[in-house]
Amino acid sequence: MATVSLPLGDAPSAPRPRLRVSDYLRWSVDHKIIGVQYMVTAFFFFIVGGALAMLIRWELLTPTMDVVANGSQYNTLFSVHGLVMIFLWIIPMMAGFGNYLVPLMLGAKDMAFPWLNAFAFWLIPPAGVLMIASWLVGPPEAGWTQYPPLSTLFSGDGQTLAALSVHLLGISSILGAINFIVTILNMRPEGMSIWQIPLFCWAILATSIIIVMATPFLAGALTLLILDRIAGTTFFDATRGGDVLLWQNVFWFYSHPAVYIMVLPGMGILSDVLSVHSRKPIFGYKMIALSSMAIAIVGFTVWAHHMFTSIQPELRIPFMITSMIIAVPTGIKIFSWLGTLWGGKIRFTTAMLFSLGFLSMFVIGGITGVMLAMVPFNIHVHDTYFVVAHLHFVLFGGAVFAIYSGVYHWFPKITGRMLDERWGRLHFVLTYIGFFFTFFPMHFAGMLGMPRRVAVYMPEFQGLNTVASLGSFVLGISTFILVYNAIASLRAGKLAGANPWRALTLEWATSSPPPATNFIGDPVLFDDPYGFGTPAASDYLNAIDRRFGAPEPGAPAAPRPAAPAAPQPAVGD
Amino acid sequence: MSEMSLQQTPAAPVRRDAHGDTHGSHSQRVQNLKFATWLYLASEVVIFSVLIATYVVFRLHNPEVMELFHEKMNEWPGIWLVSLNTFILLASSWAMVMGLRQIQRNNPQGLMRWIGLTALMGTVFVVFQYVEYTEMAHKGITLYYDAASGIFKDFGMRFYAPTAFHGAHVIVGVLWALYVVNNARKGRYSSQNYIGVEVFGLYWHFVDVVWIVLFTLIYLI
Repeated sequence: MATVSLPLGDAPSAPRPRLRVSDYLRWSVDHKIIGVQYMVTAFFFFIVGGALAMLIRWELLTPTMDVVANGSQYNTLFSVHGLVMIFLWIIPMMAGFGNYLVPLMLGAKDMAFPWLNAFAFWLIPPAGVLMIASWLVGPPEAGWTQYPPLSTLFSGDGQTLAALSVHLLGISSILGAINFIVTILNMRPEGMSIWQIPLFCWAILATSIIIVMATPFLAGALTLLILDRIAGTTFFDATRGGDVLLWQNVFWFYSHPAVYIMVLPGMGILSDVLSVHSRKPIFGYKMIALSSMAIAIVGFTVWAHHMFTSIQPELRIPFMITSMIIAVPTGIKIFSWLGTLWGGKIRFTTAMLFSLGFLSMFVIGGITGVMLAMVPFNIHVHDTYFVVAHLHFVLFGGAVFAIYSGVYHWFPKITGRMLDERWGRLHFVLTYIGFFFTFFPMHFAGMLGMPRRVAVYMPEFQGLNTVASLGSFVLGISTFILVYNAIASLRAGKLAGANPWRALTLEWATSSPPPATNFIGDPVLFDDPYGFGTPAASDYLNAIDRRFGAPEPGAPAAPRPAAPAAPQPAVGD
Repeated sequence: MSEMSLQQTPAAPVRRDAHGDTHGSHSQRVQNLKFATWLYLASEVVIFSVLIATYVVFRLHNPEVMELFHEKMNEWPGIWLVSLNTFILLASSWAMVMGLRQIQRNNPQGLMRWIGLTALMGTVFVVFQYVEYTEMAHKGITLYYDAASGIFKDFGMRFYAPTAFHGAHVIVGVLWALYVVNNARKGRYSSQNYIGVEVFGLYWHFVDVVWIVLFTLIYLI
């Protein structure tokens, strides 16, 4: 590899596109604008869901009922919290990353279907309005799982609106997923094989396959639920020829794969961030890519482990076994990431810190997952706070930490400015500590028998709950540090340059933010997206610096000036 | 080693698609659209399978209800109307294929006639389905749970949910066919460019296949 050619336009660098806020408020088919629209909308709902979580933890500071007036209000709090966080925060946020990054990473000018892409996004605001409106007309009280008969006989009209909202969001994510699959499989540049796409694209591909095959199950179940609620059918009413287990089976046949819809893109983010910030080739590229696919497939065989107390006992063991098997591909990923870190030149940037935070916390969530797969233990802690702890370790310690990591990693590309690292580190420390003390005590509370979804609990659990509540307040405050950091950095952050982290994937081989057509001329890819540490890689990165201008001196991520490539193979990039 | 030479990449041929209609090569767009349609149909298969499964589980547990239902279907118009309707829907798929053949031979007039016929047959199907539903309602088979309906009290919803969902797909298909006819009228299709017709065809065949499954499971066996 002696020659490196780069995307060279006529100008030394494209003029920085000046995007106004109003550009993000109207219909646009540019995947970059749509990606930001997704992310900002999702973050708004993260704040909404977070506010509800704060109310929940405030209520649980004491064993008695003091914040809410009655149990119904409390039911509403945790129901809407769960629905908002899953369907309006994590899933759209991951779609936002995918939208912004996938075409750039593939050197394409846009997604395969730009119009469809915009349409998928614009389904989300009305769905969010429906979800919030559900509060006003007799709020949903059946939890995010919406089990009948709670959701049919014991919930207000808001339950119908919430179901419609989730229905819309499901359509949105199916359309988005179809777009991703076609883009990733059909729109790669010549010379980029499927084994050369960034692992984030692999993760989005696996996620999209799950979305296309699983989300319609939820759509079907929601259709029946809505019919039960408004058309007088009794699909889920056991006293009138219905079957409540029908809902549980179909719902979990969607919702267990949905766990991977939420966490696989995060694993993709991690694969990119860990490699770039430890300056080492990713360990086991193919295994990470294929384990995503394995998770996508095995994910469809484990749903009934959510129903150990309601299915026929003889079905428990098979589902226990499949649930344990699915830990294997996840373990492959974890060990591959550790292999990537091993011996690397680790830079403790905020993006890296959050990825390491994901590694530590997701492992705990994974282990409690295997514990929950075991039938006797599961029956002991079924519907207790242990389950709440587990799912938050997976979804917050996993998905949200990965989102934060991705935000710090790609904010420079999206805005052209670096996020401030000092605020970032403070954000990380508070999030990490707040998260741990919020959710770790819940394991103990659960094993001691504290049920989930209660506003009033036995006084002996107060110590654990107070710790959890105080931790959650720290977690809540930490979010606003990110908000402040983002706003301050947008105004006066250090200029990022094209490639502040000196990464090899294609989204960095263009200016930050990228021009409307993404690349001036055809982008030229480096043959190994994670091939750090070779002279060729160093040459490629230096060429990018020369072509687009090196990052501003003092930007935290450029430890070395763009020096001529050293002859020895270990040049550190 | 590592002699750096920055080649000026020529701005010319951009093979990749961008903003769909404007920049992408035609064959790329055709490939993308077909692939996306197949993925969309895959998700439709899933949602139909949920509705069909609710029916199948019910009939496995309640064979006597189905026997009575089939007896009722022997009364005029009953099964004859549904069979005629099935024939019409199958024939509409044939009309669709004929339309596609016409545009492949660069005959937009023929395309408009055949796809127009497809839309007409789809409309007739929906009308007959409405007639059938009215008959059913008179026999006491209602969507909502109705204790007064005796043995059919919890059959109706399992019958109407999948068939009406299919009917909604036929209605969407009819609107889509009219859209195709309108596009043909504006001269948007040719023997070089008929992907819009092809994609509609995939959808219409799918709606047909779903009906064959429903017809078999509900009326025949």
